[in-house]
Amino acid sequence: MKRYVDVYKQCMYSAIQTAAAYRMNFIVSSLITLIGNILFPLVTVLIYRAGTSFPGWSLFEVLLIQSIFTMSSGLSSLVFGGVLWTTMSHVREGSFEVILLKPLNPLFYIVATTFSTESAGLFLGGAALFIFSVMQVGAISALSWLQFTGMFLAGTAVLAGLALMMAAMSFKWVGNSRISELADSVLHVGKYPLPIFPKAVQAVATMIIPVGMVGFLPASALLGRVQASDFAAVLPCFVFMGAGIWIYRHMIRLYEGVGG
Amino acid sequence: MSVIDVKHLTKTYTTYKRGAGMGQTFRSFFRREEISVQAVNDISFAIEQGEICGMLGPNGAGKSTAIKMLCGALYPTSGEIEVLGYSPARDRKHYVRTIGAVFGQKSQLIWDIPPIDSFKMNKAIYGISTPDFNNRLEELTALLDIAGVMEKPTRVLSLGERMKCEFVMAMLHQPEILFLDEPTIGLDVIAKVKIREFIRQMNKKQNMTCILTTHDLEDVEELAHRVIIINHGEKVFDDSLQRLKLFLGEKKRVSFTFAESVQGTVFDNACTRVVERPSDFQITLEVDTAQISISEFIENISRKHSFSDISVKELPIQQVVMNIYETKKQPEPSL
Repeated sequence: MKRYVDVYKQCMYSAIQTAAAYRMNFIVSSLITLIGNILFPLVTVLIYRAGTSFPGWSLFEVLLIQSIFTMSSGLSSLVFGGVLWTTMSHVREGSFEVILLKPLNPLFYIVATTFSTESAGLFLGGAALFIFSVMQVGAISALSWLQFTGMFLAGTAVLAGLALMMAAMSFKWVGNSRISELADSVLHVGKYPLPIFPKAVQAVATMIIPVGMVGFLPASALLGRVQASDFAAVLPCFVFMGAGIWIYRHMIRLYEGVGG
Repeated sequence: MSVIDVKHLTKTYTTYKRGAGMGQTFRSFFRREEISVQAVNDISFAIEQGEICGMLGPNGAGKSTAIKMLCGALYPTSGEIEVLGYSPARDRKHYVRTIGAVFGQKSQLIWDIPPIDSFKMNKAIYGISTPDFNNRLEELTALLDIAGVMEKPTRVLSLGERMKCEFVMAMLHQPEILFLDEPTIGLDVIAKVKIREFIRQMNKKQNMTCILTTHDLEDVEELAHRVIIINHGEKVFDDSLQRLKLFLGEKKRVSFTFAESVQGTVFDNACTRVVERPSDFQITLEVDTAQISISEFIENISRKHSFSDISVKELPIQQVVMNIYETKKQPEPSL
């Protein structure tokens, strides 16, 4: 275990060194990621300013959902964000054996080596919006904070599972570079209050691809709107991540390398 | 005692025929013909501890695929591999601790940071203690003469410097077996000599077993105790370097650029054969050095013709394989 912690620390140090080597790229990438992801709450502000709303949800409650979504995306990108592109590139170029030559779990090693420093900005931007929204929605009990923490981690597990499943596909369908757009469109559901969607979509977003856990359910926990049945959605999140890990590890067996 | 035992190793890839030209490419969007490629076909061999075994073969022969299976990076389609008591692909995580690998065309160094930080990454990965790491690093950097490049970013290093750093990466954890896949590819003569010397020293000092794939016959001549030749996935030769030389004969290729036309001159005789004659000024000859030394041969030619350029090379690997096929049809030469 200590060896794995040491490797992760060394990988984080290398990622920071790389960011320092290309300072301008780091700053520009961080800003683009941050702006691209925190602009969508502005759309929410415009909707409410125009006099319309999501029924039963105030502006700050919706902003709370969206800030949690941003924080969760930031955290997931920080840790798992590079797995898809790095796996894809290794499979295309036939350099995945460099990963397999290390006496480590290959999934751990690839996650560790793809630590994405530029996603720190996204996480911090989400956190700033979160603090602002929390201050506007009134007092939150300790129990709600506890429920929120559990659900937030479950939501991050969903994003990690999605990233791993998409990366795993690279071993079979080499070069599917737009697969992430498919995932992004599914994730959109988690940015808004689930009750605005039809019942079938709500069921899928809670139990099958639990994207509701990425923003909506943790926010509901903070607002005291969560129901006992919602906790049942925590389990599918970790199952989803477990499935991502299992699929990735299974797909490694399909790796064939390329010609010399 | 054999440390590597390979029995009936086979690797088959499935790929698709996509065709050439617009029509076939368009058709391949809808219907693709599946092709089975046998990269390695029923290869068996055993390698003793401390042996340096050269694996030769033309491009696409299956050498790299075989090495990747021996490293545990690829699963064999069938057959068995046992290295130091491990099954490489099945026991990969434990097995790779005992081996080192250098791939001439794939880097293990982290591109944007100095090699010293990549070495520290391996220290963490293999759980090497700090005193062991420092001693080992000092020894390896002195042997390879790379103390001056350790703190420069990897991307600014020359190919030779990078390759030496790759060797440090592969050797820090003191592997029992070293797999080298074209380690001298693209290197200049000085870097090649340094790297060959390093491999020789590691083999002598640590009794380390090496498997080396290469296109360069000089690598094999300088290092290998034994040679395995692979062609079209099949093993076509497995014996000592001495016996390989008997198969080959002592031959070199000499290319001349003459100062005047040598039209009409007969170069074919008992010890030479014309291989290429693109013009009356340029000619490549195959010289049997068992019958005439290179210096004597050049002296003879220079007495008859003046030339502006000359190069002496080993036989190309394709020629080596072809010679073995041809010789195998006849009774084997005896030692």
